Amino acid sequence: MLTLVIGGGASGKSEYAEELFSGLPGVKYYIATMMPYGEDGLARIEKHRQARRDRGFRTVEHYTAMDTLVLPERGAVLLECLGNLTANELFSVPATEKEAESAVLRGIEALIKQADDMVVVTNDVFSGGGNYDDETLKYIRVLGSVNRRLSERFDRVIEVVCGIPVILKG
Amino acid sequence: MILVIGGLSSGKRDYVKSEYGYSADDISFDIFSDKPVLYDLQELIFTDADSERFFPELLKKKVVICSDISCGIVPVDRAEREKREAVGRLCIRLASAAERVVRIQCGIPQIIKG
Repeated sequence: MLTLVIGGGASGKSEYAEELFSGLPGVKYYIATMMPYGEDGLARIEKHRQARRDRGFRTVEHYTAMDTLVLPERGAVLLECLGNLTANELFSVPATEKEAESAVLRGIEALIKQADDMVVVTNDVFSGGGNYDDETLKYIRVLGSVNRRLSERFDRVIEVVCGIPVILKG
Repeated sequence: MILVIGGLSSGKRDYVKSEYGYSADDISFDIFSDKPVLYDLQELIFTDADSERFFPELLKKKVVICSDISCGIVPVDRAEREKREAVGRLCIRLASAAERVVRIQCGIPQIIKG
């Protein structure tokens, strides 16, 4: 089962995504994509790490080129999150919009091959208007496009609003 | 308490008036007023400390209306970022305590809880 979880900032999407794994048997991988950056970033990472510590996830930190990631054994995969992965592929590599999108999608496909179940968390950053610099607009376009591709590809798409799941597909 | 959430100008107050029979006079921006409906919660919260202080008052309201400010790019400004996080976390708490949560889009209500 492939599940895409989307939500805005502080919507409760991460907590919800992790809850989806609570009944699952077998190995659970948590693929963290956030590059540690600054005090703020470290605090966020620590917050998320704390939240999943006792839920039996094996944390794998991988920031770009997910297609090079080989998991030790099959299992259930939680990828958190597409917003960071897309930014990494676009800006830290750096790459064109097309290249970044392909890299993200290729990475997801590679993970699907190794996963019995997969949940991908993505960000809703699309309703803050378009008054941004060119680089940010580029990012919005790539992430929006990746979200659309994955919502076609995945079995379920769930939006989280104030911690409440709203089923968009499946 | 009923939590009503939605983007700017999505029809939240109109919904509250038509669905629950309140008038403009029942709606206040002041968390400590005794009016049954609080509007623009997102303008009152800047930190988690604000949430702590206001949470018990919010539970006394019949309806709390909050604009959804969570779906833009993460703000560059630290204070803006923290405010957005604090509002989001508070809304999760409120939603969990609320008897009903309604999300409004284009004036159309979607009852997502209760």
